[in-house]
Order: sequence, then structure tokens, then C-alpha cells
Amino acid sequence: MSAVLDSLRSAWTEASPTLPGDGARRARALEEFLAAGLPTVREEDWKYTSLKRLDNRTATLPVMPDATAGGALAERLGVQGLDGPRLVFVNGHFVPSASDAGDTRLEIGSLGAALAAGFPHDRLGSVIDLQRYRFAQLNAALFADGAVVRAPRGVVEPRPVYLLFLTLGDEDALPIVQPRIWIEAEAGAELTVIEHHTGERGDALSNVVTEAVAHDNSRITHFRVQEQAPAHIHIAGLNIRLERDARVHSHNIDFGGGLVRNDLHARLVAPGAELTLDGLYFTGGTQHVDNHTRVDHLAPQTRSTEDYRGVLDGQSRAVFNGKVLVAEDAQKIEAHQSNPNLLLNRRCEVDTKPELEIYADDVKCSHGATVGQLDTTALFYLRSRGIDADTARSLLTFAFANDVIGRIGVEPLRERLAAQVLGRLPEGESIRELT
Amino acid sequence: MLKISNLHATIDGKEILRGLDLEVRAGEVHAIMGPNGSGKSTLAQVLAGRDTYEVTGGSVEYLGHDLLELEPEERARKGVFLAFQYPVEIPGVNNVYMLKAALNARLKAAGDEEMDAMAFMKLVREKMKLMQMDPSFLHRAVNEGFSGGEKKRNEILQMAVLEPKLAVLDETDSGLDIDALKVVAEGVNSLRSPDRAMVLVTHYQRLLDYIEPDYVHVLSGGRIVRSGDKSLALELEARGYDWLQPEAVNA
Repeated sequence: MSAVLDSLRSAWTEASPTLPGDGARRARALEEFLAAGLPTVREEDWKYTSLKRLDNRTATLPVMPDATAGGALAERLGVQGLDGPRLVFVNGHFVPSASDAGDTRLEIGSLGAALAAGFPHDRLGSVIDLQRYRFAQLNAALFADGAVVRAPRGVVEPRPVYLLFLTLGDEDALPIVQPRIWIEAEAGAELTVIEHHTGERGDALSNVVTEAVAHDNSRITHFRVQEQAPAHIHIAGLNIRLERDARVHSHNIDFGGGLVRNDLHARLVAPGAELTLDGLYFTGGTQHVDNHTRVDHLAPQTRSTEDYRGVLDGQSRAVFNGKVLVAEDAQKIEAHQSNPNLLLNRRCEVDTKPELEIYADDVKCSHGATVGQLDTTALFYLRSRGIDADTARSLLTFAFANDVIGRIGVEPLRERLAAQVLGRLPEGESIRELT
Repeated sequence: MLKISNLHATIDGKEILRGLDLEVRAGEVHAIMGPNGSGKSTLAQVLAGRDTYEVTGGSVEYLGHDLLELEPEERARKGVFLAFQYPVEIPGVNNVYMLKAALNARLKAAGDEEMDAMAFMKLVREKMKLMQMDPSFLHRAVNEGFSGGEKKRNEILQMAVLEPKLAVLDETDSGLDIDALKVVAEGVNSLRSPDRAMVLVTHYQRLLDYIEPDYVHVLSGGRIVRSGDKSLALELEARGYDWLQPEAVNA
């Protein structure tokens, strides 16, 4: 067994008495994870993303942080200007003093508190295909805390619930931070959740698992914004179930991290369900960002639209694998997918693969993936108007990325992300007003 | 203002311009006519600095500058303007802000004060009225979803705002119905001035009914094969281009 798996076992032995919930469940999940081991590039799903750099690391489970420092960090790194409830976590631990559940009819709180108050532990994992997503088992074994956000029947909360996960790395050991998030909108309810993963200094691994259930005729808007430090390894699983006439809009934004792997799995299980997936990865340096999405149309009259875009700079690498499955009796469904990629230089690389698996015969499906450079005709047009080459390039790059950012309805978040894209582009400041 | 001498240019190794000479003085309007493939659009693009064309010989002097040494944006800032035959759609970039950036880049390069948002909007609204453009175009992305005629009007709008010294209009009349052509021509005519020169590149004589040129040149095989006044255009209209071909070969 590799050093990292050994260290995980000892970390578990040490920490298990303090972890909330059903210990036996956790122990089973750990054994299953250890038995399967870390994925390797020999597995099709991990072909382009190697976790070899983990092998010789010593994993540790971070302890409860200093609450004052957590609050200060939240002010510095968090999204400002949001008016909804806010829960802050540092290295996976809930920081009540930095949090404010606010005045809302939603049920919001830390997962640890919810489990202590009777939230059924076996609900966790019920939205996940555990055979497929191994890191969900690791999270199930070792999560220290997380968040529960529930909208009771008919409750509509327009303000976003802000979940801020701050990670502080370590120079020697590899802290493993494992937030666990449960999101649920009961029939007719509406909620918005922002999952923000950010942090600073050193090395750490975060292994996030989110489950979201949209019951009949409900709406969930979900943001996952990842801005981790450059050495960070970020693994995230987002698992969604959509019931009858439910609508879910997911925004998946990756700006940070050194090695990033997202597994998104959505199941549309009843007619009328409608899913929108927006994604943006903007990579530089030696970043590696891998998005695996899977949409299962399991019922007729369901609809999904996916637009994942990439902007790559430096020597970075991106992977996109978008699978759409249409079950045999899922007639009259619509599934559209696109994955355009913009390469800002010749040293970056994208591997993109759409996969359609269709067993029904009356469906509308489309997919398209492109990898290219900026449109030289558009560049020339702008330059011929007096706009310098750097500004013209930045402007076109921003416009490409802003297609996704522009669909973000939460203004402070949209502005922040737009500013970040501009911040990474030459002459970014001067083009702010051009869009 | 503009002196083109013995200009040669190639694209993908194929020679398109083969020793073109042309002199344009301030205040003049020159029409460059010629059959398809004669090099008209190449000339327009080379003047604006498109790098897909390689200049293999000759020189272009513009207001004392070696034009060919300048980047496209430097040319624009010194007053060169190309109205594109096929204006480019740029999704996500706002039409009016792009224009404001273009104008301010030019003002800044000239050492003038940049225009503030209010003064600029006043100016652009005025010019839009002239081009009979709906104010909704202010808020749309550059040329995105514009009809052919709207795109051409948008080009002239840009020209009206940027007030170039040398305007090159590449097939500005193509694809326009007669009403749109009149609007575009009126816009162009309003910009005629003693210190501005214009080069109209066109396949058809029709545009010249509305914008009267001082000189007409026929481009064939990459060179000017005949120059004259506006009556030459009428002759071309009546006789076509074929009668000029042998001359091009023999010259």
C-alpha cells in the first residue's frame, strides 16, 4: 500500500472518535476506499489525470482552526456584498463566529450539528453512485463537517446561501480537507447556494462532496467557485437528482488549484426536469483541470443544456469528458452539450471528449467541442480601429469567458469573477468598460 | 497624403499586387474599380495592415510616414480607416464601447484629451441619427446579428465618429438595397472635406452615382491600368472591363 493510503488509515484511527455521525458507516466507507486504492491513469476515467504526486505524501486531518484567524481570512478572501446567510469553514471545520445563518425560512446549519440533532446519516450518499466515485467513499469516511441547506416545501429564498470553505495548506504534511454538503429543495421551493473553495499557502488536498436533490417543481441554482492556491489539489464531486419539473442550474468555475478534478453527475429521474450546466476553467502555469460530467436522462420529456468553456494559458492542461446517457424509455428528451476551448499559446493542451449513449429513438441531442486560438479576423478588425494588439486579444478572450460569467445572476459574484478574468489578462483594467 | 509606388503583395505565395502606383491628395475622392480578383480588396487590406498579406516590394508613404512599417493600430491612430467589405461580428464586445475605445486611442495618440462618456454618447447619437440607425444598436455587440445593410451603416458610423484623414471603403456598396445605399452615400458625402481623402474600392459603378469621385482608376492584374475622371466609370459601366484586359497584359 502506498504511503498516502497508510497515512490515511492512521489518520482515521486517530480521528474517528471525534468525527460526527455513524462510525460503523464511516469505517465501511474507508475500507472500500482503501481496497480500491487511488485511481490510476490505467483507468479510462482517469486516463489524462495522474494522482501519482499523492503517492508518497503523508496525509493528515487538520484540527479545528483558530476562529479569529478564520474570520479575518473570510473577510479577505470571501465574496463581499452578498446579502444572504453565510457559513464559513476553515480546513473543513465550521467557524460559528464567522458565520451568520441570518433570518431565513431555509434550514441551514453545519452538518455536524444537523447529525447531532437527528439528520439521518444514511441520507448522505443516497444521491451518489458510490461504485463510480471513489473519492466520495473517502469523504464519507473522513468528513469532519460540512453544510446542510434545505428549503422546506414552497419556500422561496432569492438570496444566495454562501458557503465559504477556506483551506490553509502545510509545507510538509498534506492536510486533507473534506467538506460534505447536502442541498435539498422540497416541492415548489427555490434556493441558491454558492460553494466557494479558496485558500492560501502551501499544499493541501480538498475532497469535496456535494449532493443536491431538487424535488417536484423546485429550483436550485448552484455555484461552485474554486480559487485555491496554486499548489492545491482539489477533487470535487457534485451529485444532483432532479425530480418532476425540477430545474437546476449549475455553474462550475475553476480559476485556482494545481490539480483539479471535478466529477459532476446529474440524474433527471422524472418528466419535465430541466438541467443547465455552465462551466468555465481559466488555467495558467502548470495547472491541470479535469472536468468529467455525466448527465443521465432517465425519464421522458427531460432537458439538459451544457456549456463548458476553457481558456488556457501557460503550459496548463485541461480535460473535458462530457457524457450524456439517454435511457431506453426516455423519449422526447433534449440534450445539448458544447465545450469550446481557447488556447492562448501553443504550450497548453486540451483533451476533450463528448460521449453520447442513447437508447431511446425520439430524442434531440447535439454536442460540439472545439479547440482553437483567437479569431485573427476579429483581432485585425479591432486593431484596424486603433485598439492595440494586447487589448484586442484580452477583449476577445474576456468576451469568450464572459459568455459563461454573464449568465451568473448573483451580481457581486458575477462582478468578482469578471474582475478576476480581467485581472489575469494584459490591459484587463482598460477593457473593463468595453463589455 | 498617400503615395503608393510599385507596390507588390502576395498571399500564400501568390502575387496579387504587381507594381501598383497611386497618389492621393487631401480633399480628393478616388474610385478604384476592377473585375473580381484584380486585387482591389488586397489593396484595401494592405493599406490597413492585414498581416495575412506579404508586401514583397514597393513603398507606401502616408503623411510622411512609411505606412508599411506601422502596426494596424498605429495606422488607425494616425488617421487611416478601412471600412470592411465584410464587417466582423464580435460577440460579447459592445458596439459603442468599442467605438469609444477606438476614438480615445486615437485622441490619446494625437496628444489630445480623451472624451468622457457623456460627450461621447452625445456625439455617437448624433452620428447614428445621420446614419438612420436605431439607438438599440448602441447596446448590441459589434455587428452581431446585424443585417448586411446594418453592418455597412455601422462601418460608416465608425468612420463618422473617428473622422479619419484617409478613409478606404472596401465594397461598401455591395449587398445594399438602393435605400440603404443612399443612406450610406449620404453619410460618406457628409464626411467629404478638404483635409480628408477617400479611396472607394468598388466593383460597380452604382455607388459613384451617389458619391462622385474626382478620379477613377481601373485595377487589373494587380496594377492600375487606366486612370481618368468620373466619365471613365460610365464607360466601364457601358463597356465592361474586358476591353481593358489586353492593355493590362501588354503594359
